[in-house]
Amino acid sequence: MILLQSPSRFLLQILQDRVLSGDKGVDIDCHTVEFDDVRYHIQFSMRNPKVMVLSVALPLPPPEAMLYDGLPLGAIEAIKAAYGPVIQILDPPKDGFDLTMKINLTKLPPDEEQRNAVLTQIASVREVVLGAPLKLLLKHLASKTVAPNVDKLVALVHRPNESFFVAPQVDKVTVVYPMRFQDSIDIVLATSFLQEFVEARRTAALNNAPSCLWSPAPPLELKGVPSDALNANAVVFPRHVEGKKLDKTVWSLLTFHAYVSYHVKCSEGFMHTRMRRRVESLIQALDRAKSDAEKLKKLVNGGSFKRLSLKNDGNSRQ
Amino acid sequence: MFSYLLPCRAGQRIISIPTPPLDRLHPPPFSLPLRPPADAASAVPTMANSLRLYLTCIRNTLEAAMCLQNFPCQEVERHNKPEVELKTSPELLLNPIVDEQCISRCFSVLICRNEAEKCLIETSINSIRISMKVKQADELENILAKKFLRFLSMRAEAFQVLRRKPVQGYDISFLITNYHCEDMHKHKLIDFIVQFMEDIDKEISELKLSVNTRGRLVATEFLKQFI
Repeated sequence: MILLQSPSRFLLQILQDRVLSGDKGVDIDCHTVEFDDVRYHIQFSMRNPKVMVLSVALPLPPPEAMLYDGLPLGAIEAIKAAYGPVIQILDPPKDGFDLTMKINLTKLPPDEEQRNAVLTQIASVREVVLGAPLKLLLKHLASKTVAPNVDKLVALVHRPNESFFVAPQVDKVTVVYPMRFQDSIDIVLATSFLQEFVEARRTAALNNAPSCLWSPAPPLELKGVPSDALNANAVVFPRHVEGKKLDKTVWSLLTFHAYVSYHVKCSEGFMHTRMRRRVESLIQALDRAKSDAEKLKKLVNGGSFKRLSLKNDGNSRQ
Repeated sequence: MFSYLLPCRAGQRIISIPTPPLDRLHPPPFSLPLRPPADAASAVPTMANSLRLYLTCIRNTLEAAMCLQNFPCQEVERHNKPEVELKTSPELLLNPIVDEQCISRCFSVLICRNEAEKCLIETSINSIRISMKVKQADELENILAKKFLRFLSMRAEAFQVLRRKPVQGYDISFLITNYHCEDMHKHKLIDFIVQFMEDIDKEISELKLSVNTRGRLVATEFLKQFI
């Protein structure tokens, strides 16, 4: 899996099982956590086996990110538009969660293909909620306008206590990701990965992709925001948000940081496997030096030499 | 009595690989264990070639230096310590390194491939210490080397001849005592050390390559989504 998938596998599995299982009701009450600290709480009760109560907790927002009632801008509208009558939003949400929804499985379309499409969309609820403001901005870009009630620089939450910044303009949108890593090796690996983004963009096949840059200093758009992180930025043009591409673009931009850190961790894991294998082969090389010597020792003790004893000694003297 | 010690009073011999090792007009002060083939001496050593010279030189020096014998500690009864670590007396350190032409006495040999890559071999009567510094061209290589060598040092127990902590200024050290030499074949032990050095270089460059390849793949896949 190179790219991150937007539907949560766990959620999708539960939904599909429930739809297929018929009327048998089993109590389900479980929690699950996804990357970037998005938490889900899933509840089914015996009495209403076809109604699921799904609560979603979003990553803790940093002070600069703008939220309305704990949800990103336009999230409620996006949910209503995406799911229609299947979902009913409960207000206020459960304690400790930002959004609680009631999903009525009886209202799903009867056709299997359509039903699966809706279930997949329910499973990718994080994309709908967290991506709502970004989608709004990019929609305006597609029609080459600027959203009227939006500042020059918008901070959007994507990780606990971290946000990325979007600077919308009429003909382009610049997205800036401040990336902080705790480990020095992570920093070095991420730097080389970001450099690869810049270089991959230069190849002929990817000429139309958004232009990428990175620098240790914050870019012009971020003037005044204190930053001690690597800054990656991408410039998105209207051609990237045309028609069907919009959803994909929103998800990719939203999870850029997670994507890079996921691969940084993966390559570290890969390095460890490799190093372990190398250590084994080196130990084998050392053992080769040893085992021969031990074999030789055995041979020596095995009876090539006669043992001297006092008795023999005495006999020879006589 | 001490006159034969004079030529290397400093106690250290430095062999540098990239410079032409044999100069007919100015013969080197010491005969080198290294004997490159005639054509290699005239040509500018390429990278692979210079690595081979470097490793051959280390191998020859080790072969000459690894003549260890049991030697009980002179200060504490019933103790037996590696003298190269304790350095209690100079006469135990000035172990002769015998090569083809002469016997020179010195307690350490420094073999340099270039400024970043070098190998220090210290000898004594009952132990020998080999320290090496690995090439670290950029930050990524530096991190990879550090990580890999730390990984190895933590497994020193399994390697027996590996020192848990490298000598200051070096990346990794071996400590070979006369007991190791008794347990193992000397030439195979030398094979192991040379292979180790070769493997570390190879491993680090392969790791770097794999990180870069992965980065390129990751970036390409991500950017493809926008097209």
